[in-house]
Amino acid sequence: MWWYVGKRLLQTIPVFIGAVVILFLLLQLRQGDPVLNLAGNKPVSQEVRDAIAAQYHLDDPWYAQMFYFVKGAITLDFGNTFSGQPVLDLIKETFPVTVTLAVMALAIDAILGIAIGTLAGLNRNGIFDSSALVVSLLLISIPIFVVGFVMQLVFGVKLGWTSPTVGGDWTIPDLILPAIVLAIANFAYTIRLTRTSVAENLSADHVRTARAKGLAEWVVVRNHVLRNSLVPVVTYIGINLGSLMAGAVITETIFNVPGIGNAAYKAIQQGETATVVAIVTFMVMVYVLMSLLVDLLYAVLDPRIRYV
Amino acid sequence: MYETEPGTRPGQERFVAPVDETPLREIDAIDVDAVPENQWKEAWKRLRTSVLFWLALSILGVIAAMIFFPTLFTDVSPSKAELSKSFDSASSGHPFGYNQQGYDVWSRTVHGARASVAVGFFTTILTTILGVVTGAIAGYYGRFADTLISRTSDVFFSIPLLLASIVVVSVLNNRFPDRGFWLSVLVVVLALALFAWPQITRQMRGAVLETKNLEFVDAATAIGASRMKNLWRHIVPNALAPVIVTATISLGVFIVAETSLSFLGLGLPQSVASWGNDLSAAQTQVRSGQHLNVMYVPAAALALTVLGFILLGEAVREALDPKARKK
Amino acid sequence: MNGTHPLLEVKDLSVGFRAGKQTLTAVDHANLTIYPGQTIAIVGESGSGKSTLAHAVIGLLPGSGRVLGGDIRFDGADISQSSRSKILALRGSSIGLVPQDPMSNLNPLWKVGSQIKEALVANGVATGAAADKRVVELLEEAGLPDAERRARQYPHEFSGGMRQRALIAMGLAARPKLLIADEPTSALDVTVQKQILDHLDQLTDTLGVAVMLITHDLGLAAERADHLVVMYRGRVVESGPARAILQAPEHPYTKRLVAKAPSLASQRLSSVRARAEVREQAVQTAAEIASEIAHSEAEFGEGRSDIIVVENLTKFFTLRGAKPWQKVDFAAVDDVSFRLRRGTTTAIVGESGSGKSTVARMVLGLLPPSSGNVIFDGKNVGEIKGKAERLKLRRQMQPVFQNPYASLDPLYSIYQSIEEPLRTHDVGTKKEREARVRDLLDKVSLPTTVMSRYPGELSGGQRQRVAIARALALEPEVVICDEAVSALDVLVQAQILELLNDLQAELGLSYLFITHDLAVVRQIADNVVVMQDGKIVEAAPVMEVFDNPRQDYTRKLLDAIPGASIELGA
Repeated sequence: MWWYVGKRLLQTIPVFIGAVVILFLLLQLRQGDPVLNLAGNKPVSQEVRDAIAAQYHLDDPWYAQMFYFVKGAITLDFGNTFSGQPVLDLIKETFPVTVTLAVMALAIDAILGIAIGTLAGLNRNGIFDSSALVVSLLLISIPIFVVGFVMQLVFGVKLGWTSPTVGGDWTIPDLILPAIVLAIANFAYTIRLTRTSVAENLSADHVRTARAKGLAEWVVVRNHVLRNSLVPVVTYIGINLGSLMAGAVITETIFNVPGIGNAAYKAIQQGETATVVAIVTFMVMVYVLMSLLVDLLYAVLDPRIRYV
Repeated sequence: MYETEPGTRPGQERFVAPVDETPLREIDAIDVDAVPENQWKEAWKRLRTSVLFWLALSILGVIAAMIFFPTLFTDVSPSKAELSKSFDSASSGHPFGYNQQGYDVWSRTVHGARASVAVGFFTTILTTILGVVTGAIAGYYGRFADTLISRTSDVFFSIPLLLASIVVVSVLNNRFPDRGFWLSVLVVVLALALFAWPQITRQMRGAVLETKNLEFVDAATAIGASRMKNLWRHIVPNALAPVIVTATISLGVFIVAETSLSFLGLGLPQSVASWGNDLSAAQTQVRSGQHLNVMYVPAAALALTVLGFILLGEAVREALDPKARKK
Repeated sequence: MNGTHPLLEVKDLSVGFRAGKQTLTAVDHANLTIYPGQTIAIVGESGSGKSTLAHAVIGLLPGSGRVLGGDIRFDGADISQSSRSKILALRGSSIGLVPQDPMSNLNPLWKVGSQIKEALVANGVATGAAADKRVVELLEEAGLPDAERRARQYPHEFSGGMRQRALIAMGLAARPKLLIADEPTSALDVTVQKQILDHLDQLTDTLGVAVMLITHDLGLAAERADHLVVMYRGRVVESGPARAILQAPEHPYTKRLVAKAPSLASQRLSSVRARAEVREQAVQTAAEIASEIAHSEAEFGEGRSDIIVVENLTKFFTLRGAKPWQKVDFAAVDDVSFRLRRGTTTAIVGESGSGKSTVARMVLGLLPPSSGNVIFDGKNVGEIKGKAERLKLRRQMQPVFQNPYASLDPLYSIYQSIEEPLRTHDVGTKKEREARVRDLLDKVSLPTTVMSRYPGELSGGQRQRVAIARALALEPEVVICDEAVSALDVLVQAQILELLNDLQAELGLSYLFITHDLAVVRQIADNVVVMQDGKIVEAAPVMEVFDNPRQDYTRKLLDAIPGASIELGA
């Protein structure tokens, strides 16, 4: 087990650095004065110019800049926004909301997705299964922001169950609607994967053997079908954390949630490419770490993995 | 062991079935009348009887008509903006009225098909080619090539698709501020493809690894077929089925991704008629709850298209399912 | 225990599967009776309905399977139509199951002990710590050493034989009156198979459990059971006392089976005589070919009488050690030497992990040896330089592999598959190649109508014929058969062996025949090389190995051939 953890940790490091390097290289594709790119497109004095050049090592060769960029990312130093605020402060301000939102979305996705998927898989080709299939296909087909707008309109504006936008002083109930919207995109895939996995396991040899032992049907389903089906689903939900983060940019924008995604959106609108890249870099780092955790969880769920 | 002589207990007497009831077949006889079929022909036969397949095909047929013959659906130009008609309701020839800028909603939707589907189509082609080639090389040659390709794809895979394309498009937008139709499509395609290929690579690599150890590959080697020939004649064709399914479904996913980019102001430029742009422009109306058809019409067209590709992918998956094949 | 009332009576049982709108009958009016404490065997090929019958008894028909008619009486009560809860009450406590494939029948995510404990708890035998203790006892009883530690391990830490023992412990956990053993050892090595069956026999005897043994091997059935039920295409074609059926089979199908079952055929002297005739003719034909080769410059080789000489062949594989940085060199093949004489067959026999297939792959040039030489007709294969020369060598040696479902490219038609070697070597024009393919199909007794077919439409035996035709396309001198008949049903297996013999006599071929099954060796081989753990244990002419084995391991392999002790009729 510990070898597996160690190996996975070691594998994460190059991926982590590689991802940051790619983002750095993309940033280099920009045109124009690098100083203005970092300070906003307004004239700056020579002193400010020198200060920025020194802070971002703009006079060094590109590989040195890359080194500083990677080092910055690892030490959580992401530079400043146009207004001079360190990006890290911006992240500190906004990240807690996003984490709360993401955890809520993940919970909704996992609980509902697994429950519905299991029911559908146990009664394959039944009415419940078919309707779940149709609904999940529809949900995949409609962009998340359209779903968001409609939900906002129906539950926020028309029915008035929640406030349509969240704003600065957010509370957990405010986040329920955005969390549902955020969950919906992945939710459909979770249902389908759980369904396939459950249906596959139902016809597995070891399930027949479990039945032959004289176990009651619900014990067979709980211990041998569900438990085994969850292994791929958990991995999948882990991979989905990535689209959850991308989804956060959109959902937070729609509902005006003061999270990191909203901050990214504002930076895009103002052409602050450096800030956008800084925020994305941070999100990628979080994602890589979360994937690592999910892989470790996978090893806990499946004893075979631990000895690879 | 038994008290009585064997064969004397009730129910266990010697029994021989009458021969005419169970005529012997020739061992391993061949059914001479069957029509020959290979995997693809068989899959096509199953596709032809699939409701899902025809449903998908009819949806996609309509969309294809919109792309190649938009004038069949509307003779209003999508670029004709009459500000005076902002939010005018439906009238003859304008079944869904006008949007804020005074564009005809229906005409924008019909003409928007081209850009949205083009993005999905070309991204899929690019990722599939990249993924199949890299995945096949990594899986077949192994060792250094595998390490290089797998680790690289890990890195690209670690950046979520939409986040990555946000960065690429923001950078490229700044590089090419004035773009025509094809250049803008190309920018979005590159942004999506750059980070979407690892999925196909992984799938292809897995399928090739599974196929390359099958005995017919060894048999071909023993005949004297070269490694390249083996890879492209035997292994890749047999490993392709799951990739085709993924590619079809991801075509729809890329179309959705493009609209999400447009929503963030990072998709195709405003000058190009696309569903993403129309939906993005519709957001202000949605907040007020007025003139909702400005959003519903392009959203419906988009959802139908994506659904069409997903259903097609599902139908193909079912037709190619090896479990279904073995009867 | 020998009650006069039957424990299980199956009367006129029919079972069907729905496929679309049709119902396919898998079991057709089958009858059988088992008395308490008795062992009976159901014998049949794949698709005969033997497993379906067993699953119907325990109410575990897969998918769309339904009982269409007839009775299943267990202890006097009809259970074919009883409710789920009634059948549930019988499972485990009255009827136990030992399934076929030990690899897929244990849940990989649970410890072995807890999977057995489940059976105890579900049937109200024991709970809590008492159940834990019982689990260890059961595992010990099933012959698993160090049971206490083993109970806490996961299935992937067990070998195939150990898993099968765990499954036996599981099937007997709640002391059922009837144990259904569905091909319980088919997936295991022969020596392990014998150990486990012996143990199962002894255990069920002591416990007085009745056993329904399902097997494809007539010899094994006759050795283990006193009553046989022979099934063919869903029907019971013959049933009765084992010895009577073996000595005087009456139904034509049973006759065929008794005549062809390799475990029985290997004892017959007639198969030895037949083989001697084949060899005589093959050696003669081969000698003529050899003298041609010896006098021709263009041909590859020198026409020697030893067509393949293997000298000190060794192959190391590097494995990961217990710690990530450790590498362990493992000798899969260790200093192996043997000769293959022109026109004869040398069989390499061994269990899984013996290195026999690795030898085959090295001889074929699919795997480079770590050291040692393969010398083909006087030429050292490792020293051959140049593409043209290597292609010439390829032409002389062709393989036929084990798995008939993987040995042909499913996307190639039969014609393309057989033509591929001809095209690769630029043999003839398109027309000539087609004529050659027809000729080859004729040689392997397949109608030319199969040319446009695809492998998916052919049965295992037919595919193996196509694979043989492909191997013969380039007129090789040596054919290397790697478990070429192991995956086939008994009768088909016999047919392919006959075909191989005929082709050898006609074309003067030399075979290197790799197999785990000593039983088939006598019908095809002239010399035997017995391998164990990468080393040669014994190498001798086939008669000597069978009649006078020198090594314990060889003797063990021979003993493991089921049915050796049965007296056969003429």
